Amino acid sequence: MHIDPLEKKWAQIVLAICALFVGIIMIDALFHSVNAPSNVETINSATLHLSEEFAEDNLGVQIDDKGDITIRMVAGRYSFLPKKIAVPAETKLTFRWVSIDVLHGVHIPMTNMSTMIVPGFVAEIETSFPKPGNYPVLCNEYCGLGHDHMWSKIDVVEKDQWVKPQITSKEGDTK
Amino acid sequence: MNQLTEEERKEIIESPPIGTWSLMLIVSLSMVAGWLFLYYGVFLPRGMIN
Repeated sequence: MHIDPLEKKWAQIVLAICALFVGIIMIDALFHSVNAPSNVETINSATLHLSEEFAEDNLGVQIDDKGDITIRMVAGRYSFLPKKIAVPAETKLTFRWVSIDVLHGVHIPMTNMSTMIVPGFVAEIETSFPKPGNYPVLCNEYCGLGHDHMWSKIDVVEKDQWVKPQITSKEGDTK
Repeated sequence: MNQLTEEERKEIIESPPIGTWSLMLIVSLSMVAGWLFLYYGVFLPRGMIN
C-alpha cells in the first residue's frame, strides 16, 4: 500500500502528540493521584433516611479522629442537602453524594468537582479547593421541572479560619 | 500555470512543500500549547481529583 510521505509525516506527528498527552496523563495518574473518580458502592436510595451514614444528623462536613474530612450530601428534587457548608481550602476533602430519587449531577464551577449521582450508588470523590471563596453547587443532569433551581453553596475558607466540626467516627456520627 | 515551462513545473513539483510543513508545524504547536495550557494552567491548579 502506497502512503504519501507527507501523509506519513502527518500520521507520525499526530501519534507523537497523542503519545505525549497520554504520557502526561499516565504520569499524573500513577504518581500524583490525578484520576477519574471511580467508586462502585451501592445503597438503597429509598431508605437513605434510615441508613446510618446518610441520616439527617450525619449530613454535611465531618472530621474523624485521624483528621480526614468527609462531606456527605444528599441530592433530591430539587435541592442539595445541606444547603450550605464550609470547608477548608488546600485540604483533601472526601465528598460522598447520594440521590434520594432520580439521576442528578453535581458541578462546582471553577473547580474539578463534577460527577453524576446515580440513584442506588454512592458517588465518592476526593478533591481539594486551592482558592478560598463562595462556590455554587449546581445540578448538571436534567432532573425535572425544578432542575434550574437545584443548587446549594460551599464556602471555601482559609485553612486557619475554618471552624472544625465535632470529631466523629470514620463512618460518620452514628451515636 | 499553463504558462510554466516544463522545467519550471518540474522544479515546483520536486521542491519541498514548505507551506505544508509550516502549516503542520503551526497546527501541531498550537494544539500542544493549547492542551498544555488547559492541563497545567487550568485543570491541575483547580485541585487534585481522585
